[in-house]
Amino acid sequence: MPKTILEVIDLKKHFTHRKGIFSGLKEKHQSIPAVDGVSFYLKQNETVGLVGESGCGKTTIGRTILRLTPPTSGKIIFDNKDITHMSHNELLHLRGEMQMIFQDLDAALNPKMRVRDILKEAITVHHELSDTEVSARMQDLLDQVSLKKSKLANFPHELSGGEKRRVGIARVLSVGARLIIADEPTSALDVSIQAQVVNLLKDLQKHLGLSYLFISHDLRVVELISHKVAVMYLGKIVEIGLANRIATKARHPYTTILWSSLVEKQSRESDASRQVKTWGVFDYERPYSGCRFAPRCPVYAANGRPDVCTNPETEPVLRDTGDAHRVACHFPL
Amino acid sequence: MTAPLLHVDNLHTYFYSSGKQAFIRSVDGVAFDIAEGETLGLVGESGSGKSITALSIMGLISEGPGVIRGNIHFKTNGTIQNLLEHLDTYVTVSGQNNRIMQVNKDLVGWEKNVDKIMRDIRGKKIGMIFQNPKSSLNPFQPVGKQIMESILLHTSVTNPEEARERALTWLDRVKIDSPRLRFDNYPYGLSGGMCQRAMIAMALAGEPLLLIADEPTTGLDATIQSKIIDLLAELKSEFGITILLISHDISIISRLSERVAVMYGGTIVEYGPSRDVLARDRSAKHPYTQALLASIPNEENLTENGYLKAIEGDVLDTINIPEGCRFQNRCSRCTDAIREQCMHEEPPLHEIAKGHHIRCWLFES
Amino acid sequence: MKTYSQHSLEVTDLPEIPLWKKADKVDLLYVAYGLFIVLLVVGSYIAGSLKLLPYDPQDIDLNLMMAPPGTTGHVLGTDFMGRDMLSRLIVGIQAYFLPGLLAVFIALYFGTVLGVIAGYRGGLWDTSITYFVNLVDSFPRLVLILLVIAAFKPNIYYIMFVVGLTNVPVVSSLIKNKILFLKEKNFIEADIALGIPLKTIIMKHILWHHCRALLVIQATLGMAEAILIETSLSYLGFGVQEPAASWGNMVQSGANYLMQGKFWPSTAPALAILFTILGFHLLGDGLNNILEGRKKGS
Repeated sequence: MPKTILEVIDLKKHFTHRKGIFSGLKEKHQSIPAVDGVSFYLKQNETVGLVGESGCGKTTIGRTILRLTPPTSGKIIFDNKDITHMSHNELLHLRGEMQMIFQDLDAALNPKMRVRDILKEAITVHHELSDTEVSARMQDLLDQVSLKKSKLANFPHELSGGEKRRVGIARVLSVGARLIIADEPTSALDVSIQAQVVNLLKDLQKHLGLSYLFISHDLRVVELISHKVAVMYLGKIVEIGLANRIATKARHPYTTILWSSLVEKQSRESDASRQVKTWGVFDYERPYSGCRFAPRCPVYAANGRPDVCTNPETEPVLRDTGDAHRVACHFPL
Repeated sequence: MTAPLLHVDNLHTYFYSSGKQAFIRSVDGVAFDIAEGETLGLVGESGSGKSITALSIMGLISEGPGVIRGNIHFKTNGTIQNLLEHLDTYVTVSGQNNRIMQVNKDLVGWEKNVDKIMRDIRGKKIGMIFQNPKSSLNPFQPVGKQIMESILLHTSVTNPEEARERALTWLDRVKIDSPRLRFDNYPYGLSGGMCQRAMIAMALAGEPLLLIADEPTTGLDATIQSKIIDLLAELKSEFGITILLISHDISIISRLSERVAVMYGGTIVEYGPSRDVLARDRSAKHPYTQALLASIPNEENLTENGYLKAIEGDVLDTINIPEGCRFQNRCSRCTDAIREQCMHEEPPLHEIAKGHHIRCWLFES
Repeated sequence: MKTYSQHSLEVTDLPEIPLWKKADKVDLLYVAYGLFIVLLVVGSYIAGSLKLLPYDPQDIDLNLMMAPPGTTGHVLGTDFMGRDMLSRLIVGIQAYFLPGLLAVFIALYFGTVLGVIAGYRGGLWDTSITYFVNLVDSFPRLVLILLVIAAFKPNIYYIMFVVGLTNVPVVSSLIKNKILFLKEKNFIEADIALGIPLKTIIMKHILWHHCRALLVIQATLGMAEAILIETSLSYLGFGVQEPAASWGNMVQSGANYLMQGKFWPSTAPALAILFTILGFHLLGDGLNNILEGRKKGS
């Protein structure tokens, strides 16, 4: 039984905004609950995909888990150690094992440093190594991510998107990552390069026993690379289940809508059931109580707007529905 | 046969890298037509030249050397105008081995000429919408005002009140919620999807004959993307607008376009009706198109081990164009019979079926 | 008419062109001149300290007063007291060299420290440092210097300390803005995620790679300014006093003889001031353009 490498319990991250970035907010000092009580676990050598649209909090979760931003409340347990309140010095030792691949391709790459200096720094950050050991390790990394040796002398702006991504991955591997939080790793890449990167990540998982939290808005890629998929909406996980069934056996109305938008892009026929989704804007402006999805939920509307959905006391929580599947809904499909 | 609304012929747009002392051949001989009322999809990855093609048509290339060769025939009011008229008076090219190696261009004169020609075309006859709608709109003006500006500039309306009414109508037509409220919003107060709708309204309010949409859905959420595509489809059927749709997302291209051109390394490698070019059956296809379709993450594209079929190598860097076929170093279908030819001779576009052209030696009879 | 040409069909990665080749010729000239001046200054300082002078700068020769340059034995002539001009000019550098370095050091060191804290910590630190820095900035520098002179004797080191302090706001603002700009860039966050210690991030990634041009220029400007202030004060009589030599007081005393048509005693030190300050400014300017990669002709 593979052990759990990461467990997140009721994690919350609230931001206080002073300016009215979101027009419509009446109060100036509004607290924005980017992540509002998220719980899940990740087993070793497993990939959990996290999907959702912009603003649902998936990037914030990644950064909070790595303690790049302090959590407001909740627990983060990495490899059986509670790191929620660990001091920065203690964390420094664990930093190598939990790493992040950033959405921005140029992240992790100081534009004034050459690739070989970037990698050398990463290799030597936790250990002192002799020059020959460093070169050997560097060659290892290059082989692992299929990067040409000639790229070592280049600056980041001289690399293609795919190459930058590989350098980022190499950097993360060099510090001994076991858990990698991949934040939109394929979004900025061309389709044909995306496939390369996805294959690379799969390979690395197989050979190095890595665990991934794969955050993406690209539903298809997430489906293919993950073992389990969690769907987020406005700071909460609304559904979590096995990847191969999340598309077909979805039980939360939002999940169904999310996946059907993929099909819509391709189909030419107008479907009556799509009319129900003519919602306005995906905005954070409307204050919510109870289920966050209620204002746009077709099931809510179809059932005559039942009170149980909007009552804050009976806000739906993730409930087991068998088959390693959990849904947070009062009227699951 | 009526003349097409837009006919692009032998278009070459180059840039110059002073660091490498060489040309960046972004658009290297592109030709296509768009008939009135039709939507042509331009598919390609980064570096393929699809966006530069659109910018070349609009005369928006400002870095040297820019557009150096070609004809762009645009039909307005029954007459055909060449948007690159007089180009040869400003440019001379020379080269060896069929490859342009030197360009002499009167940059200032050419800019003036382009401005003169395009002043009446931009916005009025050809409209354009861009990727990243938030950054393409003026952040200091309410969106309603920007649409009004488009109306006042490009249509016969001169009365601001009337322009305002029309702007509101357009906001309504692009299905933005509460048009009257949104009229006064600034771009930062609108979501990506709403900004894109506003930009579509702005482009169409000028009542152009042709709409160029450059990656209109990239950067938007999945659900919003499908809404924008729905909107374009509706506007298409309601107003019969002609669209040049540029994207790397094949699903939206296939949804909206009747014909498709696949670009790679600055040239069109396959060109024809979308159901043929993007069909499931992969055999009658350019190797790049086939590989591109095969690398899309979906169920049928998985190998037995659950891997995706990636294309080996990197996208072609248009500064170093090989002799012969541009796709040769990544092509998995090259056979010994044609290998020599692939390496030394660039194949021309060859018609393999009615209206379906492929640039590949595998298909030469 | 612009001509673009490519020489070969195959475009390989050209060998890296070193910075100095890519630079505008004018910038190279500036830097060359600046370095020349710096060498002269440093060399003269060392010569002066070791007393390697052609003549004793205090040596009065009443027979050879105000001799023009080129007189036998005195390359640059003599001043109104017959003292060798060259020796006096060399010794004059002593007046501002070390004090100038002090001013520069204070400005850069405290400016950087405050800028880094304000930029990196933000919040209350930022507010209080900005407040303090604005306060210092609002003081008229001349008044401050005169206060120091009044309170203590006219010690050039105290004065230069004040000059350095008054330059702290500029440096700290520049550094702070650079840091704020870089903080947004993800690579700082990525560095933290990787486990790189904060000190390394600040020293290496931010300061060394991104701020060194900025600091070099501030150093050259600071030195130029220090020279100007020292010579001005000496000219006014607040700095180095006769018979010790300072370019400023040399200009002052030589000025009395301008009416007699003897312009050399005053002009020689004035020219020295001019060319030296010009040298520092051009050095800073040229280095800035080269390091920031300004292309030829732009």
